[in-house]
Amino acid sequence: MAYDYQTVHALEGTIGAVSERRANHLSVHRASAIASVLAAPGRAAEAAGILVASGEFEARFVAPGEWLVLSDVHAPETLGAELSVRLGDFAFVVDQSHGRVALTLAGPDAARILANGIGADLHIDAFPVGRAANVLCNHLSVNLARTGGDRFGIVVTRSFAGALVDDLKVMARSHELSVDFDTR
Amino acid sequence: MTAYRLASGGLIDRSHTLGFSFDGASLSGHPGDTLASALLASDRLLVGRSFKYHRPRGIVTAGPSEPNALVTVGTGARRDPNTRATVAELYDGLAAVSQNRWPSLAFDLGAVNDRLARFLSAGFYYKTFMWPSAFWEKVYEPLIRRAAGLGRTALSPDPDAYEKSWAHCDLLVVGSGPTGLAAALVAARSGLRVILAEQDFLLGGALLSETMRLDGEAPVVFARRAVEELHGHPNVTLLPRTTVFGWYDDNIFGAVERVQKHSAAVDPARPVERVWRIAAKRAILATGAEERPLVFGGNDRPGVMTADAVATYANRYGVAAGKSVAIFTNGSSGYRTARDLAAQGVGIAALIDSRREAADAAPEGVRLIRGGSVVDTKGRQRIRALVADRGGFEELIACDALAMSGGWSPVIHLACQRGGRPVWSEALQAFLAPDVSGLVTAGAAAGLYRLAECLEDGARKAAAVVEALGRTAAGFERPVVGEETDPSFTALWHVPGAKSKAFVDFQNDVHTRDLGLAVREGFGHVEHAKRYTTSGMATDQGKLGNINAVGILAAMRGVSPAEVGTTTFRPFYTPVSFGALAGTSVGEHAMPVRRSPLHGWAARNGAAFIDAGLWYRSAWFPKAGEKTWRESVDREVRTVREHAGLCDVSTLGKIEVFGPDAAEFLNRLYCNPLLKLPVGKARYGLMLREDGMVYDDGTVSRLGEEHFLLTTTTGMAAGTLAHMEFAAQVLWPELGVRFLSVSDQWAQMSLAGPKARAILQALVEDDLSDAAFPFLAAREVRLKGNLKARLFRISFSGELAYELAVPAGFGEAVADAIMRAGAPHGICAYGLEALNVLRIEKGHVTHAEFDGRVTPDDAGLGRMMATGKPDFIGKRLSTRFGLTAADRAQLVGLKAVEADKDMRAGAHLLKDGAKPSTLNDQGWVSSACFSPTLGGHIALAFLKSGRERYGEKIVVWDKLRGVETAAEVCDPVFVDPENRKLMA
Amino acid sequence: MASLITCPHCGTRPKEEFSIRGDATPVRPAPMAPDEAWNDYAHVRANPRGRIREHWQHVSGCRRWLVVERDNFTHEVFAVTDATESRGGAR
Repeated sequence: MAYDYQTVHALEGTIGAVSERRANHLSVHRASAIASVLAAPGRAAEAAGILVASGEFEARFVAPGEWLVLSDVHAPETLGAELSVRLGDFAFVVDQSHGRVALTLAGPDAARILANGIGADLHIDAFPVGRAANVLCNHLSVNLARTGGDRFGIVVTRSFAGALVDDLKVMARSHELSVDFDTR
Repeated sequence: MTAYRLASGGLIDRSHTLGFSFDGASLSGHPGDTLASALLASDRLLVGRSFKYHRPRGIVTAGPSEPNALVTVGTGARRDPNTRATVAELYDGLAAVSQNRWPSLAFDLGAVNDRLARFLSAGFYYKTFMWPSAFWEKVYEPLIRRAAGLGRTALSPDPDAYEKSWAHCDLLVVGSGPTGLAAALVAARSGLRVILAEQDFLLGGALLSETMRLDGEAPVVFARRAVEELHGHPNVTLLPRTTVFGWYDDNIFGAVERVQKHSAAVDPARPVERVWRIAAKRAILATGAEERPLVFGGNDRPGVMTADAVATYANRYGVAAGKSVAIFTNGSSGYRTARDLAAQGVGIAALIDSRREAADAAPEGVRLIRGGSVVDTKGRQRIRALVADRGGFEELIACDALAMSGGWSPVIHLACQRGGRPVWSEALQAFLAPDVSGLVTAGAAAGLYRLAECLEDGARKAAAVVEALGRTAAGFERPVVGEETDPSFTALWHVPGAKSKAFVDFQNDVHTRDLGLAVREGFGHVEHAKRYTTSGMATDQGKLGNINAVGILAAMRGVSPAEVGTTTFRPFYTPVSFGALAGTSVGEHAMPVRRSPLHGWAARNGAAFIDAGLWYRSAWFPKAGEKTWRESVDREVRTVREHAGLCDVSTLGKIEVFGPDAAEFLNRLYCNPLLKLPVGKARYGLMLREDGMVYDDGTVSRLGEEHFLLTTTTGMAAGTLAHMEFAAQVLWPELGVRFLSVSDQWAQMSLAGPKARAILQALVEDDLSDAAFPFLAAREVRLKGNLKARLFRISFSGELAYELAVPAGFGEAVADAIMRAGAPHGICAYGLEALNVLRIEKGHVTHAEFDGRVTPDDAGLGRMMATGKPDFIGKRLSTRFGLTAADRAQLVGLKAVEADKDMRAGAHLLKDGAKPSTLNDQGWVSSACFSPTLGGHIALAFLKSGRERYGEKIVVWDKLRGVETAAEVCDPVFVDPENRKLMA
Repeated sequence: MASLITCPHCGTRPKEEFSIRGDATPVRPAPMAPDEAWNDYAHVRANPRGRIREHWQHVSGCRRWLVVERDNFTHEVFAVTDATESRGGAR
């Protein structure tokens, strides 16, 4: 018996093929390396310093001393170990690559679409590029990051990923939106 | 024909025609019309029947406060009752019908109520339907319900989509008249984020119906230019067709935007209405002022309208209300209407001014009656004459429309919705907004009625907002305003000597005598009078009539209107549809669905799914030939007991805990001892509430010296995390501990049954022999194929069992591999129902038992409590007398005496032969099932002093189903009490 | 219909992002404190009108427990602080 396990994406089979890319696009990341980093008690500043210093990680704020760290450089299997080595005793690292789904919403109406479910002020002055926070999107708590003027990164728990994408499609009803897995 | 479309003028597009229907008649109008202006242009004066007396009623206003012209627009499921024709934008194909009439608008049987009026005085409900009391439910209420009410709602599901949006701004301007435009321009030029909301489909407010010149041009030119400039500011959002309906805490405004309400062809992919929640740092209320009707005999006859409405229909819509319009006024506004009508060539029957002396001059050739009044009107379904009175001398004056002007009331509703009381201004004879923070009224809404004042006030108040927000205000050059009308008037609350009913509240059919009756019968307080007479109720909430009602009550009580005050202002300013308020939270979007990582595996194995909280869980796995769920569940249970089964338990809450004080923290969180839990071992854990009752249970596994993994029950996963966060952040912040939920990272499956080890060993590299991986072992293992997993030897079913956790994305593949490896051993997939039967047979408790009233000892888990620990949540109060009493209900098992008799959770327990009563209640059934292992019905129950009563026969009394079952009390562990299978 | 709470960590958010536990003034008694102290702590609440201190959790945001000082009659919010900081800070 061969044991070669293949992963199944949380949204596998729920996203139809896109015939055309529209003005606004929701891209579902195929395989994301994501980890939670919890600063050790009293070590938030040191942990933050290490995360910021390295260009290999994108640390998104969750709570004081807690970040969701995404990486394009590292694989889901190795990100946790890599972070543990870098952070040492300053933080606890938990792999969430399977527990979270990362999405990117980009387009001229991105902020307007999100305002149909999110109460936080998403004006570029109030929520600038580089800012991240957990927010309520309709019924779901998600981590929202502004990664560009009209580009947002969303991280949602795996079990709610389908519900969130359904919601985002409804939120975008008055705007042009296409949805697809990323090509990466 | 009397009312008619003027040959020219107005903001309508005469080059295009829009067809619409009213009560089946085909009519037409133009783009720019409202339904009301188009009806008026078609000389349809009669548009509805009144609520109580079914009197014929016509259009009174040209705006949102319309009390009479309520019609039903649309057909089928898209039928919108009580639509105000005065704000309904005309579109091609609009289908409207009148309301509250039968069989037709012109011939309405309900009009007999008008003849019976003396039996239908104010408070008649309370007097007439008092006795006999038995008649209320069967006779009176159904009768009233049939007779009362306005439109009828659609009964089929709403086919339309709605939406809710958040918006944030520095300044919200409500109203786009001269004040609002000036304010928005100053704020926009100063760089503020501005939202300008306007209920009308055109921006401009009063400028759209004003004939005075601004910089020598028509006011609409100024409005268009201002809107064009605002469009060009990226920091400005213009929201036409948007009614701001409420002002809420923290300066949040509720508004409803009619996105597709002005089209017959609704695009189902887009919302028809959108509710905005606007968080504004500041707001300027530029909502203008409302002209008050005059209260005189017969003032509700179709053709009687406010003077401002008559002028608006003429100026903005190019519609003359009649060929011979009479005007009755107590101030200058009536003269303005006379001038506008005269300029359009509309005939004026007479201008009647209640004041004896006034500086105003009537247009040339118009008959002016000073010190006069109207005491009655004539005509059946429309006015044909009025009875004027001057010093006791009555005169019949023929007319086909009557414009009335009773002075002005600033529209201040929003400013009073958060508890602030309006302030009476003796000078203006009107209520003004109170001083409130975050919002300011401006222009006519602040009692400044002249156009120049409005423009200046809007600009000035916007500049003040700009400065308050720390910016520099941009300039505003006020256009030169032509000669203005003096806005003064002399209050005339009601006209004495009315020859017929003089209505105060048109919509609710309240006339002056009703208010008099209310005062005489002791209901003179404004809030009492409202309920007693219904004045100011229903869809218009007294927008038009309330101030007159206050003035009349004041006069009757001999006090100032300031002393009477107003009724309470509450949202909504105008009615908002339920669909808009629900937004997208309907159907599958009302509640998010949560899917297990093993969902695909369960579906492939034919699972029947069930909603469990937000989760969608596999309940059982029917096989071909199985006709009922019980057949499937019984087979699954037998298979697990004899061979093996695989069940999805991914929905359990999973929390990882780290830190030097992690063990100490958990030791205080759980009632049982955890400090000495060895690395690589799991332990059952019980959390209490501070009052000593069980909060949740689960397993605690020690993965490292300072690293733990907890499981919670599915239902309490969120609550337990918040409970732990409270303990860590508030109770014991000095403890060095960090934790987070990893519930979604892992697919977790329970493999249970005597063949479980053999099946699992085929997939796992590590040695799983009982010696190497004993009961309660918990550690990382490596699956063949080089996949890391977490394995726990724990059992809910009482069988030899393992819980295997793999990264969620691998869940389906691993579950498939287990099913393949298990096939030769007779494995089956089992669901939530079989899991429940297995745990009841083993006497394991869940939240069916832990219902918040149960202590560990009640559940037979008293020995788990580590009373020697210095502290844990629930320790101190669990020693209270009441929680240790000997007659507490204790967990027992029940076996039905007769095999075919079942028991259900919720049933009560009685001693054999005892009468069902609270006094005789012996306890309750918490869980029940058919046990395929025992071949009969069994249950878990809480019974007074239950552990001393094994062997006793007891009655399980189920009043809801009318079933009584005889049962024998027994130990709650029905299967393998020696744990031989578990430890195998 | 709506109101806002300004989380010290996440910024201004609608109240729907928070859950409310209740009075923030009771302090958990020492393990061996008298019965009355424990009874008061677990069961007795004053329900005053006016300015109050409550425990709110930003459940949809940072999940920190906060102390919201507000007026339960006017709904004015005076201060929102992290509950740990208001107890003297974490280790």
